[in-house]
This record gives sequence, structure tokens and C-alpha cells, in this order.
Amino acid sequence: MIKLSIRRIFLISTWYLVLGTLPLFAAQEDNKLVTLSKQIIEAKTTAELYRPFEELKDLYFSRTMIKSEGGIPLPAGKENKFSDFVGFLESLSSKKNTLEPFTNYYIALSRYQQLKYLEETQNWDEYFAKGNDYRSKISEAAAKTVASIAVSEPLHLYANLILWQFHRDQQDVFHEAALADLMNSSLEYAKDATDIIPIKEVADRLVAYGEKGKSKELYKIYVDRLIASDIKDEALSNTALEFYKQGNLELSQGIYDVYIGKVVAYPKEEAIPILIEIAKNFAYSAASAVGGLGGKDEGLKDAFYAEKVFKKIEELGKEEAFNEELIYLRAFNLEKSKEYAQAKDAYLNLVQRFPSSAYADEADFKTAIIYTYILRDIKNGRAYFEKLSQKETLTPQGIASLYHLGLLSQWEENFSAAREYYKKLIEKAKEGFPQTFGLAQERMKEIEETKPIEYNLKTFLDLSLKDENTMYDMSKLDLKASLYRVSKGQELNIAASVYLPQTGCLQMEVQYFWSGDLGKTKPAFDEASFNTSFTDPGTKVINLVVVSPSGVLDRSIALIDMR
Amino acid sequence: MKSNTSKTKSHKSGVTSHKPILLVACGLWLVACLLGAASRPKPAVYIQKLKNSRYRLMVNKKPYIVKGVCYNPIPIGENHEYDWWSDPNKPWLVDGKLMQEMGVNTVRVYQSGENPEAVKNVIRDLYQLYGIRMIMGHWLGFWEYPCPGYGENDFKERVKKEVLSMVDLYKDEPGILFWVLGNENNYSFSGQVNPWSSDEIDKEPEPQTQKFMRGKIYYSFVNELAKEIHKIDPNHPVALGNGELIGLDIAAKFSPDVDLVACIIYRGKTFGNLFKSLKVTFDKPIALTEFGADAYDAYLNKEAQNMQAFFLESQWRQIYQNLAGNKEGAGNCLGGTIFEWTDEWWKHNESDPESWKVHDIESNWSNGSYYFDIKAPKNMNMNEEQFGIVALSQDLENGINKRLPRKAYYVVREFWKNPTLGNINKKKDKK
Repeated sequence: MIKLSIRRIFLISTWYLVLGTLPLFAAQEDNKLVTLSKQIIEAKTTAELYRPFEELKDLYFSRTMIKSEGGIPLPAGKENKFSDFVGFLESLSSKKNTLEPFTNYYIALSRYQQLKYLEETQNWDEYFAKGNDYRSKISEAAAKTVASIAVSEPLHLYANLILWQFHRDQQDVFHEAALADLMNSSLEYAKDATDIIPIKEVADRLVAYGEKGKSKELYKIYVDRLIASDIKDEALSNTALEFYKQGNLELSQGIYDVYIGKVVAYPKEEAIPILIEIAKNFAYSAASAVGGLGGKDEGLKDAFYAEKVFKKIEELGKEEAFNEELIYLRAFNLEKSKEYAQAKDAYLNLVQRFPSSAYADEADFKTAIIYTYILRDIKNGRAYFEKLSQKETLTPQGIASLYHLGLLSQWEENFSAAREYYKKLIEKAKEGFPQTFGLAQERMKEIEETKPIEYNLKTFLDLSLKDENTMYDMSKLDLKASLYRVSKGQELNIAASVYLPQTGCLQMEVQYFWSGDLGKTKPAFDEASFNTSFTDPGTKVINLVVVSPSGVLDRSIALIDMR
Repeated sequence: MKSNTSKTKSHKSGVTSHKPILLVACGLWLVACLLGAASRPKPAVYIQKLKNSRYRLMVNKKPYIVKGVCYNPIPIGENHEYDWWSDPNKPWLVDGKLMQEMGVNTVRVYQSGENPEAVKNVIRDLYQLYGIRMIMGHWLGFWEYPCPGYGENDFKERVKKEVLSMVDLYKDEPGILFWVLGNENNYSFSGQVNPWSSDEIDKEPEPQTQKFMRGKIYYSFVNELAKEIHKIDPNHPVALGNGELIGLDIAAKFSPDVDLVACIIYRGKTFGNLFKSLKVTFDKPIALTEFGADAYDAYLNKEAQNMQAFFLESQWRQIYQNLAGNKEGAGNCLGGTIFEWTDEWWKHNESDPESWKVHDIESNWSNGSYYFDIKAPKNMNMNEEQFGIVALSQDLENGINKRLPRKAYYVVREFWKNPTLGNINKKKDKK
């Protein structure tokens, strides 16, 4: 007891000596610091050092607010203690030099975090005064750790990781060599390691930096080890789901691939429901947002992986494996991933197999839209518009079809036919469809006044329907919506992304010709995005043509469902 | 067969009989060549190719790192048409002194002034008083109305005359470092910026092929100019001014005679894989003749000297890492010229003289690599009037706008004095 007390006094006094100031932590944290220091000093093996050092780091780092976006000041009362931590680590290593691999690693980590922190909080005085010292310290301290601890230790890996992250952040000439070192040490470590988690941690960082090929290599090692550990199928599935929920699609899909490989050997009736659940996770659904703009279904989506699973379901269970809901989900997923031809086939399949489905009108309408404006097949498109418009009880899609039939006739300069369609629409849509009604009135007015179709809309129609404009294939322009299924009056955002050739500071001024169902808003030529809402139910078709000073760049279309 | 053999034999015997004379003649010729080569002076400025496609610029037989600034000292209230070369207040004297104190050894000008004597005076003053050399450029008619006519022979001939006249006028000035042909002219290949065409291009429906055709025409023209310049001025390298690395795959085929690439590049904190990419695409040395950062935070709507200094320090670090002397880097970088020395107040609205008197803070373009203020409205974060590492005051001093060095001036000065590159101190891994 006495011995312990003396050691405790020694630790506390070391702490004060190091800082030369009053304690910086609250009493509770101070106690924790003493306990952790004691554990570190008394550790007999390297393995015993990992946890206390990590907790020690958290004690200092937890006070910091590292934000990914620059310019955000710390909340009042918060302060960083990177330098204090470095001072403490240096003191520790001077007391017990066998701790040096750890103290050096954490010194490198502290200075690395500190540099990021200084940049993000725009603490420029310290950045310019000390930046070079910190940079040198990161390289020097991490390299010392690498040199002084065996590659079989996770710390060796972590030190290489810090070195690589540091050089990668700076995109300097050393980052390739640092990446090679990191990969070599990871592979070396993986050979005999019992704890494979460090490999996953390295892979996670690689993914975060966009090094997909390298991360895949390491994830594969991780997954192989997981499988070799005789993990049960259910646990495998849960692990995949857990990584999905964490947002690690790469790893989740890697594990699901293995799991699916096992599931397909199950009896069909067991396998298919499992596969459906997996597909549902990754597919865009009506509730999800495309492009991360914040839909109700917040899970990360990968339409292509979903379709891969749908194909597995199809292989196993043929067409019968797909019920009405599942075909719709598949079609919707394909539509939102802009695989329009396949989406159209899926919608056709839905109506063919379930003619009285609640989705039938929406499916027919989207088929018509895809045929007409995306695949440039007016004849087939018109047939589906006609089918919808001739129904005895007109649905929202029927009303919209009348508008599009009128529009196509007007564009073809068959004004009498156009007038007939619009008249019919105006009669039927007076109640309940004010926005579509308004559009039809505008078009009728144009015909009556022998004016051309409104410029933006006419431009879109010319580019979408004339044979000579096939080069405008929607590959250079993308339209995204914050929501793809909205209720009446619900606000959503529509945003365009144009893929422009690189022109440095000679930036092109482009104009946005919006048309179609724009809802309550009329965006201006210089607006690449706008907020709107709709009053009429049905599928809304938003058109865009982007024009540069030297001509049209491309066109695009977005479909929004209002219920 | 027979006659052939005899013919050969007879010819051979002839050779044998004159062998001693020929050997002597060859020997003499070789000695003459060696003596000639030894006595021929090295060009004043040349590029030395080292092992593994590493390059360095040599000036008077010594390695030279270009530590420069783009120089266009337009006073407040004037625009790009102002002939600063003839300014009686000689702003380059004040600037040259400040530059010298910072460590600047090079200025880059985009095109010479119209009065050759005035231009020579500036070159001489900067060089003789401050040891600062000049990279002299030519726009190659890129800004001519209605468009640069690279598809027309008349246009090219006219530009060629102008360029060769420029070289002829200034090639003997000891302060000249090298010539730069064009600036970001390659951005016109897409047909979206300063679009130009030719009958042949107009007939081509495929945009990618059109782009290649424009590149071929333009780079062949630059190559022709480079060859002509080399004939009249063997003492200075010729650079191809190019925006990013766009089109250099085409230049590799059609501009083999340029000596280096003068790259205009805005990639924020670093230049990414620029140096290695160039080695693969077009194995020439590179000088970054336009790079930098603005000193205005468009998001917070306030001057941001630190932000500018942060980017410039980081950019210079990467430039130094890729100089020939640093074995870890690509070794093909010769240095750079920061854009730019002083702010230019006319740039936001060049058609409105009133706005030339106002330091506009409305951004002109967007670049996500300058991330601190990318959340500005419509992501417009680049402030063209605030790129100077020296701000201009409306107060006059010695007849010119007072110079106010920004933080970047001092940070880059310190970097040049003590370049810290952040090398890995590699030690052998413990296995």
C-alpha cells in the first residue's frame, strides 16, 4: 500500500513537473490519469500497453472538437491539449525508455491531429509558427516507432498508417512510398496475427481516402479470416448488416458476397426471402433519397449491388420469386440509378403480371415517359400515354398523359390534335389538378396566339425528340432531388450537376433552361438548383437543358412521385 | 552476281588505297569538331537533363530555381490596357526592392509592352538593380476579337511575326530567363472557351475528334514558333504555356521542340500527381508559371491573408519536393511564379471604369480545392481581384499605390530561406 502511494505521488508529481502548471483536468479525470499512468509504468508486456495508452489519448483528445469542415470555432469551454499530451508522453518515455515505441506513436498522432485541428479551426498563428516543427515531429516520431517495434505488433501498423495519412493529406511526393510501406506491413502483420481488427482499421482508413483497391485487398484478408473462424451464417449476416449500418458498404458487400454464396445453397424457399431482405437494404426505394440529400430511408444505397442481388433472386426463383412490390422496387431502383431501358422493362413486367396493381398507372406513365423522352421512341411512348388517357376514370397519370399527348402533337405542329387533348384535359382537370391545368392553359394560349412552345420546353423537346440530337444523351448532366416521393405541399430540392470540361479560371457561364412540372417555382436561368412543392398528385416530370456560350451541353430529366 | 562482286571488290580496293588519307581527314575533322564544341559557349540559359528524366534550369552554368511572381502592376483605377512599362513613376523599382527582400529572383510577364525601349528599361532595372530575371510571355492572340484564329494561316503568320519580333528585340537582354508561348490557350480545344474552328473541324461531328483537331493545329503552331525562336535565339528556352495538363498528350506528338511546359494550375493545397503525370504524358521539365490563392474569404466576406499564406506555403513545399535535387520527387520541376505580385482592381468588371477604382469582393469563379470558403453563395469562392501577395493601398507613395505585403509575402519568404519538406526519416523496419 505504502509502495503504491509513493508511486502515486511520484506519478502526480511527474505530471505537475511535466506541465509546470496546476492540473488541467477535473479531479475525476486526474484520478484516471494517475491510474492509467500507473498501468503503463507497471505493464509487463507490450500487449498490456495498448488499452491504457488509448484511454490516455482519449482523455486528452476528448477535449477537442475536430470538425471536418473548416472555420468552425470550438464551443466555449473546450480546449485542445495536444501539446500537453506530447509533454506528458515525453516525460513518460524519459522515465521508462521501453515505452518509446508507444510514446513516439502517440506523439506523432498528437501532432498529426493538432495540425489538422489548427487548419480546421484556422488557428494560423500557431500553424505558421509551429507547423514545420509538428510536421517534422510526425515523420520522425512515427518512423522511430516503425523502426523500434516488431511488424507483428499492431502499433507498427498504426505508425505506418499515421505516416501514410500525413503524407496523403499533403499529397506530397512521399505518399506513394508511405502507402507501399503501409500495405507491406499490413500484409506482413496479417500472416501470423491472431487479432485481425487492425487490418480492418487500416482498410477503413484507406476507404475513407478513396484507396478502394488497397482497402479491398485488406478487407478480403479480414473477411477470409472471419470465414476461417467457423463463423455461423447468421453471425456472418449480422456482421454484414452491422457494417452496412455503420456505412461501410465496401466491407458489408464483401461479407454479403460470402454470405450470399452460402445462402444460394439453401432450399429456394429459405434463400429467396433472405436475398430479398439484402436487396431491399441496398435498393433505392420510394422513401429514400438519391444522392444523399436526405430522404426518409437514411440507409446508404447502392443500386448496382441491389440489382446484382435481384439477379440472384431471379436466377433462383425465376419470375415467380418477384411479387408486385418487389418488381416495383426493382423498377424504381433501376429508374433512380438511371438504368432507364431496364427500368422500363421492369415497369412493363409489373403491369403485364399485375395489371390491376396499385402501381400500374405509375408504371405505364413512366414507361411512356422513358420511351418518349429518354429512348426517343415517340410511337411506343404515345401508345402508353393513350392507354392511360383513354381510361374511363382518369387517374393523375391519365391527366398528365393528356398533357403529354397534347404537347407531342403541338411540337409536331398538329395543332388541332393538340387542342383536342388540352381541351379534354382542361375539362377533366379543372378540379384537383391545378398545376397540370395551368400548364395546359399555357400551351392552349400558345396555339391560339400562334406562338411557339415556351422556349425552355421547346428546347428540351427538340433535343429529346429530334434524331439529329442523339448526342445529347444525358451523360454530361445529372439531376437529383432531395426526395423522390412527396406529399402535397412538401418542399423538395432539385439540383443539377453539369460535367464541364476543365477550363481553369476561365470559367464558363452556363444557363439552366428548366421546364416541365416545376411546381410552385419558376427557377431563373442562372439557378442550378431550386426548392419547390407540388399540389397535384401523380408523377412529375422535370426537364432541364444546360447551355454554354458555345451551345447546348446536355439535357436531363427527373421524375418525382406525389401521392 | 559476278559483275556485282567485281564491282564491290574494285570499290573496296579503292577504299584501301586511300585509307591513310581518309583516316587523317577523319581525325582532323574529329579534332576540329571537339575543339569547336569546347570553344562553343553554353547558352546563357538552358535546361540540363539529368538521369531518370530529371531536369534543372541552368543560368550562367549554375542551377537556378525559379522563385518568382507573375507581374502586372496595374494601378488602382486603370485596367489591362494601361501601359505600366512606360509609367513615369517606375513601380518596378519599389516592387523590385520588395521582391529582392523576399527572395524573388524571377518575374513573369504575360506579354511585353508596345514601346521596346520602355520594356528594355524595365528588364534592365529589375536585373541590374535587384538581380531579378524576366520570363517573357506572348498571348499568341488568344484574346483577339472575335476569337483566336488558329485555324487561319493569316492569323498565324501575323502572330508569328509578333512573337519573333519580340524575341529579336529582347533576346540579348541579360535579364531574360525564357519565353512562354500562350497561357491557357489549350482550354479552347473543348470549344467552350474562346471558341475557334476551321472548315475541317466544322465538318467533324464527333466532339472528341474536334478537340484533337484543335489541339493538333494549335500545338503544331506552337512547335513551329519554338523552332523559329531557337534559330534566332539559342540562348533561352521556349516554354509551352498550358492550362493544367489538358491536351499535353497531343502536345507530345506535335510540340516536340518546346523545351519546357509552363503550367497554369489552381489545385488548392497541392498539385496532386501533376509532376508524375507530366512525365508519363509529355516528358519535359515544368515551371508552374501561374498558381496561388486569393486572399479573400468569400464565405465569411472578409480578407483572409492567412488562408492565402496557408495555400502558398503548401504549394511551395510541393514545388521544392519535385525539384531535380530532391531524389524522392519527380525531379522535373524548375520552380514557379506565384499568381500574383499585386492585386489588380480592374478584373471583376473590365468594361466598367468606375469599378476599377473599387476593390470588388464578388467572386468570379468557383474552385472546390480552395475549401475554406467553398460554402460561399453558389460556391463562388475565387476572388480574382485579391490574388496579390502584396495589396494595393489607395494612398500614393512615390506616385504609385502604396504596397502592403500580405502574410503570404512573409510566409513564402521564410519558406524560401529554410525550405522544410517533411521527408520521412526512413529507418529499417524492425521485423
